[in-house]
Amino acid sequence: MTMLTTLALRNLWRNHRRSLLTLTAMVVSSSLLILALGIFSGMLQDMLASATEQYHGHLVVSRDGYQDDRDLFSTLAPESELIDRLSEQEGVNGVSPRLRTFGLLSAGESSRPVELLGVQPAKEQQVTTLQNKLVAGRYLTEDSGNGALLGRGLAERLDAEIGEQLVFLTQAADGSIGNDLITVTGIFATGDTGHDNSLALVNLNWLQRLVILPGQAHEIALHLEDPLTAPQKAEALEKLLPPELEAIDWGRLMPEMNEVIATYDVSRMIIIVILYFATGLGILNTFFMSVMERTREFGILMAMGLRPWRIRILVLLEALLLGVLSLVIGVGLGALLTLYMREVGIDLSGYITPVTYAGGTILPRLTAVFEPANFWLPALLLLILCLLSAFFPANRAARLQPVEAIREE
Amino acid sequence: MQLRSLSTIALGLILLSASSAFALDLRELIREIEDQHTGRSSRAVMNMQVETSHWERSLVMNAVSLGRDHFLIRIQEPPKEKGVATLKVEQEVWNYLPKVDRVIKVPPSMMGGSWMGSHITNNDLVKAAKIDQDYDFALLGETDTTWRINCTPKPEAAVVWGRIVYLVEKARRVPLTVDYFDEDGIKVRTITFDEVKEIDGRQVPMLMAVQPLEKPQESTVMHYRELEFGVPVEESFFSLRNLRQR
Repeated sequence: MTMLTTLALRNLWRNHRRSLLTLTAMVVSSSLLILALGIFSGMLQDMLASATEQYHGHLVVSRDGYQDDRDLFSTLAPESELIDRLSEQEGVNGVSPRLRTFGLLSAGESSRPVELLGVQPAKEQQVTTLQNKLVAGRYLTEDSGNGALLGRGLAERLDAEIGEQLVFLTQAADGSIGNDLITVTGIFATGDTGHDNSLALVNLNWLQRLVILPGQAHEIALHLEDPLTAPQKAEALEKLLPPELEAIDWGRLMPEMNEVIATYDVSRMIIIVILYFATGLGILNTFFMSVMERTREFGILMAMGLRPWRIRILVLLEALLLGVLSLVIGVGLGALLTLYMREVGIDLSGYITPVTYAGGTILPRLTAVFEPANFWLPALLLLILCLLSAFFPANRAARLQPVEAIREE
Repeated sequence: MQLRSLSTIALGLILLSASSAFALDLRELIREIEDQHTGRSSRAVMNMQVETSHWERSLVMNAVSLGRDHFLIRIQEPPKEKGVATLKVEQEVWNYLPKVDRVIKVPPSMMGGSWMGSHITNNDLVKAAKIDQDYDFALLGETDTTWRINCTPKPEAAVVWGRIVYLVEKARRVPLTVDYFDEDGIKVRTITFDEVKEIDGRQVPMLMAVQPLEKPQESTVMHYRELEFGVPVEESFFSLRNLRQR
């Protein structure tokens, strides 16, 4: 075996220009693939984060059916015992009770339909990241009373500025006309026009008083360490919750987003196949050439008693060595490129505006994330590709007849 | 010969007058019905009882109207909502909220929303006055005592309903029921009228019950406690400034 390895290394080195070219092809294709997949995952993560961390949260606990009709009366009592039980769950790092109501927000002549989300500011910041999306003013605080955070589109349509007082009008839970003034303390912009044009955050207890639902909430939003574990978490939580409550993961809140992720997995495979098919043809070519050149040499080796299966192993070993080498360099280079894109990235905001699709917002920037599958999948497939491409040349070499092969010029 | 031609003419005249008496002007009838509570001008005190599966409430309101384009309604009871008022001028609706001392104009996107928490929408307030202009009318059926009138929207009219059917009592020319159908032809709401009273020579139903059919346990009942017509009121009364008077 050592002999075969030595032979293989020598063979690779014999025509080092050709080996180097093949190596380069493999390194370039695998490293660019890793980079492309990293950027792709980055976009997907941006989208998922925008969809979940700007509004829904990763997981939402609410009364059965509330998420379908958002009925004002489908409330739950977010007692501290329930909140604590949810916070103690492994992998849960944010728990925020919310009350939701719809109504009319008015400033002077103009009024707009609006969705008011009553939150506890400290808790909400563990679940959503609107505090990072402020374009003016400050986030809510526990004692900001009738303070409100408005989406940018909403604020613009109402011509409202920080400190301005607006009228909110809705129907309270007792049927009466709920109305009160709110003071704009901050304006956020997420890029998702749906929320930017119609969402406002207010203090939970203020909203509870306004709509006369003391101590009540509509949902408890959770933030998870790993958003992709949400479906399993939801299932686990169902067992802990009282029967009238349900836990819904973001995939069920936004089925389109699930589709996007499934599509991503398929497109990842398609990109790999296309890129590697081209690379594979290159490798195939290299090894056929190298085997044809060495027909006489193989004949002599066989005449000296080397078994055909060892000839086959020899060629495959050459391919494997070349593959492992380019894999190491390729993955290394790919990791460096991904790291660069993660740390620096490319800002496209001068060319395109945010696009909202399937409930998530694609930000105008290119950035990459590290995802294990984006590394091991191209690496593993590169090795398989090498062996597959070398298989036919190796077979050909193994089937040579020593006498004829030696006579070959 | 002369006698015969004379009798023919006489018969012709009789037939003509008979048919003209029968040529019921449906548009005029519907207009009368829709204006029954307002007339040229009116002042009313009414009770509105709203029942839903979650709450019920009872309001006492004062209303003043001029023609079909102007009215002002103000809540008197319960104390918590006293002073909340609605002003309608032509196609626009404003609400006054005494608690925050602000006037809010109802935007087009909210015209389909509930008015004062009832089963009456803001659209009902502005569109009802235009039914005789927005719809075409046909007699759907007739009994000895009633007419059944079908209203289909004119192609160019911006309306909410796909079809409206009025059941009108012939003798007093008052509505008994009005059925509202959506664009798919499904009956979604019925308004029933009752307690017809003669006021200033007009027959007016004092009770009006709105029944949304998809929520059979819910209803809004309007009961006129006082109603007078021909009150002296100017157009200038229906101003935003007046809306703000508590």
